[in-house]
Amino acid sequence: MRRILSAVVLAAALLTAAALVTLPGRAPQPGPVAAARPADLLADRIARTQQRLRDVPGDWPGWAGLGAAYLEQARITADPGLYAKAEQAAGRSLKLRRDGNSDALVVLGALANARHDFGTARDRARQAIAANEHGADAYGVLADALTQLGDAAGATTAVQRMLDLRPGLAAYTRASYDLELRGERAEATALMRRALDGAVDPHDIAFCRVQLGDLAFGRGDLDTAQVSYTAAAAADPSSIAARHGLARLQAARGDLSGALAGYAELTARLPQTTTLLEYAGLLRAAGRTADAGRQLRLAAASERLFTANGGVDGLVTAALALAADRPGDAVTAARAEWSRRQHPDVADTLAWALHAAGRDAEALPYARRAVATGGRPAAYAYHLGMIHLGLGDRAAARAELGRALATNPYFSPVDAPIARRALLAAGGTR
Amino acid sequence: MPVDPTIARSRTRRTVAALGVGALIIGTLYGLGPGAATASSHREAPLIAADPAVDNTDLYAFVSPERPGYVTFIANWQPFSEPNGGPNFYPFATDATYHIKVDNDGDARPDAEFRWKFTNIDKRGNDTFLYNNGPVTSLDDENLLFKQTYTLESSFDGGAFKTRVEDAPVAPSRVGAASMPDYAKLRDQATRTLPGGWKIFAGQADDPFFLDLDVFNLLYNGDLSGTGTDTLAGYNVNTIAIQVPFKDVALKGDAGRNPVIGTWTTTERDRVRISGGTGSGGKVQVSRLGNPLVNEVVAPAGLKDAFNASTPRMDAQTPALVKRVLEPEVPKLIEQIYNIPAPKTPRNDLFEIFLTGITTKAGGPIKADLNSQLDNKDVRKDRFQPAEELRLNLSVPVSGDPARLGVLAGDLQGFPNGRRLTDDVVDIELQALEGAAQTGKLVDALAAGDRVDVNDRKFGTAFPYLALPNQDPVNTRGSSGGPAPSAAAAEPSESTDSGSGTDGSGSGTVSGTSGDEDTTASLQAADTEPAPDTVPVAYATGASGLAILIVAGGALVLFRWRRRSTPHVYRDDDPTIRL
Repeated sequence: MRRILSAVVLAAALLTAAALVTLPGRAPQPGPVAAARPADLLADRIARTQQRLRDVPGDWPGWAGLGAAYLEQARITADPGLYAKAEQAAGRSLKLRRDGNSDALVVLGALANARHDFGTARDRARQAIAANEHGADAYGVLADALTQLGDAAGATTAVQRMLDLRPGLAAYTRASYDLELRGERAEATALMRRALDGAVDPHDIAFCRVQLGDLAFGRGDLDTAQVSYTAAAAADPSSIAARHGLARLQAARGDLSGALAGYAELTARLPQTTTLLEYAGLLRAAGRTADAGRQLRLAAASERLFTANGGVDGLVTAALALAADRPGDAVTAARAEWSRRQHPDVADTLAWALHAAGRDAEALPYARRAVATGGRPAAYAYHLGMIHLGLGDRAAARAELGRALATNPYFSPVDAPIARRALLAAGGTR
Repeated sequence: MPVDPTIARSRTRRTVAALGVGALIIGTLYGLGPGAATASSHREAPLIAADPAVDNTDLYAFVSPERPGYVTFIANWQPFSEPNGGPNFYPFATDATYHIKVDNDGDARPDAEFRWKFTNIDKRGNDTFLYNNGPVTSLDDENLLFKQTYTLESSFDGGAFKTRVEDAPVAPSRVGAASMPDYAKLRDQATRTLPGGWKIFAGQADDPFFLDLDVFNLLYNGDLSGTGTDTLAGYNVNTIAIQVPFKDVALKGDAGRNPVIGTWTTTERDRVRISGGTGSGGKVQVSRLGNPLVNEVVAPAGLKDAFNASTPRMDAQTPALVKRVLEPEVPKLIEQIYNIPAPKTPRNDLFEIFLTGITTKAGGPIKADLNSQLDNKDVRKDRFQPAEELRLNLSVPVSGDPARLGVLAGDLQGFPNGRRLTDDVVDIELQALEGAAQTGKLVDALAAGDRVDVNDRKFGTAFPYLALPNQDPVNTRGSSGGPAPSAAAAEPSESTDSGSGTDGSGSGTVSGTSGDEDTTASLQAADTEPAPDTVPVAYATGASGLAILIVAGGALVLFRWRRRSTPHVYRDDDPTIRL
């Protein structure tokens, strides 16, 4: 009891600190007055729309626009309090105009995606398209939902439709992800560059650069990744994703203390379950098991908060259970998520949970499914290789472990060394 | 960031239950939110990306007042560019092309096309996000770290595009008096003259559109009581302006025989394919604009995106669009609010105004020939295609004192005959939608329109005419934002004025004489092309039509004028409209 209590106190303290740091728009601005940063155009847009709606409360497209702007801000600031505001604004818009109100349906669909309710998102997107078949945003919502639900072909069609209706940053970034999932990394990178070339808003610039960093990291190109993440952080100093990328890079380069400092700052700013888990893994690798345990408890507290708020994310639940050495719970959570959606990420998590539970035969089809679309991140190949090894198929294990290390020898500071040893054990030469 | 207390409270309760240790963390829950409640494992890309750099906002086309024989086109993008004194730059998109298209034979296809493509010159590296490093005194100033240049190409009669200029400078976003102490100089340096007499400009400017967006109250079941504030005052836009001789855009190069052109502007991006092969390349049109406010007032909500993607050629085959022109929504809304009966539909007068141009040759109800390509001598009538274009008769002489209500005030050089910077298109369209062209009567309740009659900044007298960009933050500007004192409809003095105004102007302008050949001749006076003296440019026949429009123009004197210097008297020195 005492341990739980102290963990919660610690969580509260950390999260308070996080709140102080992440309160939107309040970040301290160093430097001389003359070097004022560009105005936040999104905040401007929200303020202008709010004023407009005070004057003309019947402006239903205005309410939908406000909801959309809240959602964008929620995405940037990671502040889910804005979800409720977005929902209210879209609801108000729909109340004013039920028929043909595709704008409001798009907001509700995007909101459902943000909350991981991908089925609802898909349905809302289809309603929006029925009301306005030329609306590019609706196809964006549909593409996001279908991607996560595992309908890769449907997602590709939706992205292509979005590109045909309104080429631009929102479509390019989705197209890039679609290509990446199909293993077409060069094309994915080219399109993300195209998105970056047209980006003006600092948040958009940071987003594109982080994705370019992730793409470079995914192929083991640490230097390019470093340049990208650094540029992302320069464009948007509040970008958590940029800092996450930099911390991961430090870990990949073997700078364990630098990485730990990075993760400490990162998790203080935004105590997300997944980053806390990564942090815990690094601490354990550094031999600081007690500290690792503390981070794990924080991660668990964070996850409980998420589910207490009605959130459902089986992947996070499974990852947490795996980290806590509860493979049975991990399998249960991953299976439940798989029943909801068949994204490669889910297949991989389910396979790895089954492997941890000693059920490699059951795991194999899922591990294969995870790489079937062609995306094949190093971690998935590693998981598949270890499952092969568990089943005694040394040749297949060699192939996959070799593939993992060839794709990105730095894919995980914890798992990459294991992959190397396992490869040797399987008779490989690496 | 304000926290909605009810949301915070309810979240607290549930969280407390979940953890059972609520007392410890009350007060921190807002902070708990971000980490706890955002999803972690799927990629969220920007969705409803603000993409204003490619959104057409306005198009102007008018005979250049100080340069006879030349027509000026001005197209704007990037609305609501806030001059907030910070280093905010509003560049043109470099992955798009910007177009102004001219249809002079009425087939709804471009016969003259101007195409702009922009390039960044970015010397900032990763060291700074600032656009300038000290005062910028010229476009070549080393302190200007980020700038744009452009290429202008043109194509005529479907021919290949030819480059007219490369590396022309863009006037930068105005980032404040300290950074740009003499902005007018930068504007001048960005204004160029090309061979053939073309003048060009691209860069930031004060948004010349003036209106009170509250006028759209109408669309949302409100009334007009709060109007009177220029909603766009203080904001900037990105402008492309070009001035060319009539002959470059007129059918067969002969503006004497063929003085009418139709124009629209588009923004286009390259097509990108990720499935089904590489495709044929090509372009995607992401925005389109001809007449003002069509997307706001005419096109229904579900059609806006389709309209932006479509070409004028498709308009007449788009039943939903045609239906909205023939049976517009605004008059119905006005009927609900003001009990003013909506004019009977189908509204063939609006079909003329928006889709064919005002002409007697398309079977429409307005008995006047003003600005349809059908009135061009060399047009092939069987190939004419109704289409939403901003139509301009180049042979209408320049008004000495342009009337804000354009054609409705008897000033035939104004909207909907082309569009000048000073034309009050909101009020004109409101009255036109109420049937001013059919009934000759104005709707008193709407007589003040949006009560924003002029732009807040003065326009220049020479190309590119636009006011320099604003440099003070919008919300710090002195008088803006104050609500109008009272509603037009509720103000007795308005109706009194209204009576006298009608009398005064009605007697002076009307009736019967409108078919006069003298008018025709004088209307052509400003055309520098050797114009044959038989072209029927703008004359009215019969009791309805243009004559009535002009009577209506008289009634508009009653409008409350924000420009106090000419409050209640309509005066026009241009002899050509005294029919």
